[in-house]
Amino acid sequence: MILTGPEIRRRMRDGAIVIDPFDPSCLEPNSYCFHLGGSLIVYRSALIDYLSDETLADVETIEIPAGGYVLEPLRFYLGHTLERMGSRRHAAELYARLSTSLAGIFIQTSAPLGHTGAVIPWTLEIVAIHAVRIYAGMPIGKICFWENFGAIRAYAGRYSVSTSVVQSRLSGANP
Amino acid sequence: MILTGSQIVEEVRCGRIVIDPFDEAAVNPNSYNFTLSETFRVYACDVIDTRKENPTELIRMVDRELILQPGRLYLAVTRERIGSNHYAPTYAARSSVARLGMFINLSAPLGDIGFVGRWTLQLYCLHPIRVYDGMRIGQMMFWRPSGRIELYHGKYQGASGPMASQIYKDVQKQFA
Repeated sequence: MILTGPEIRRRMRDGAIVIDPFDPSCLEPNSYCFHLGGSLIVYRSALIDYLSDETLADVETIEIPAGGYVLEPLRFYLGHTLERMGSRRHAAELYARLSTSLAGIFIQTSAPLGHTGAVIPWTLEIVAIHAVRIYAGMPIGKICFWENFGAIRAYAGRYSVSTSVVQSRLSGANP
Repeated sequence: MILTGSQIVEEVRCGRIVIDPFDEAAVNPNSYNFTLSETFRVYACDVIDTRKENPTELIRMVDRELILQPGRLYLAVTRERIGSNHYAPTYAARSSVARLGMFINLSAPLGDIGFVGRWTLQLYCLHPIRVYDGMRIGQMMFWRPSGRIELYHGKYQGASGPMASQIYKDVQKQFA
């Protein structure tokens, strides 16, 4: 079962869900509208190979200027949510808002799941299919929360201490 | 409701979820990490015609690795047979894999209750990416349904390799 907007708010009061910063006007009927943070990263290597330490470490960081930043078509960017969000009691999924999608932007590449226990600013995989100007702080996606069935074992994975945008941490030692 | 990792383990033990082979170390808080096998299918035509069966080629990894080229569709397949007669499956890329710059499905994450087989993945990357045989590429989730269950009897049932689209069967029927 999916949580309704009012239920998300109620569970925030109980401490079961964290959304920080929180603006009640961003609650939707069954999700919360989150915003784009100010940093993007792009890989510089011509070939991405997670077994080679260099390729994933070689990134350029872009701070989105006040006038916005134009995404190149079909180039891969990693961004992040402005908000720290998640729940120790519920699983989450992150999707683009319709308005983002209507502008030709993906914000994740087939990876919507947020595990129970991950409470972080979420890294977004951003791909635009034509040139689009984006702005830091713009509303970009929605997070929804699901009831769990079964005993909860909270996420303690490699991204659990994220504080901003994080490139893939896949490696030979930690596949 | 989405199953927790502990519940997935329980259901595999009592046979209500099939994940074969199963490795308990691949269980996440809400999903199971499945792995990539070494065979791919690619379309061998310029235009895919949804009304016809389209030519494809099988590609195998060389030395258990393959460089995926950007903008090309690779139909890949899971090593594991996965499915359930009791829970609805959906799957996603692992976050670490998506962050490399690739999709593993093109807006089709939802499976059917009753499908059990090896899942065909749609790999699409934004820049060249090297992938490896057996890499943990995606994650399967299971959802508790509400209502009477009718099992899947579709055209991909029991798939054992990467499947090309059989949409032509539906389109032919529709325009027959």
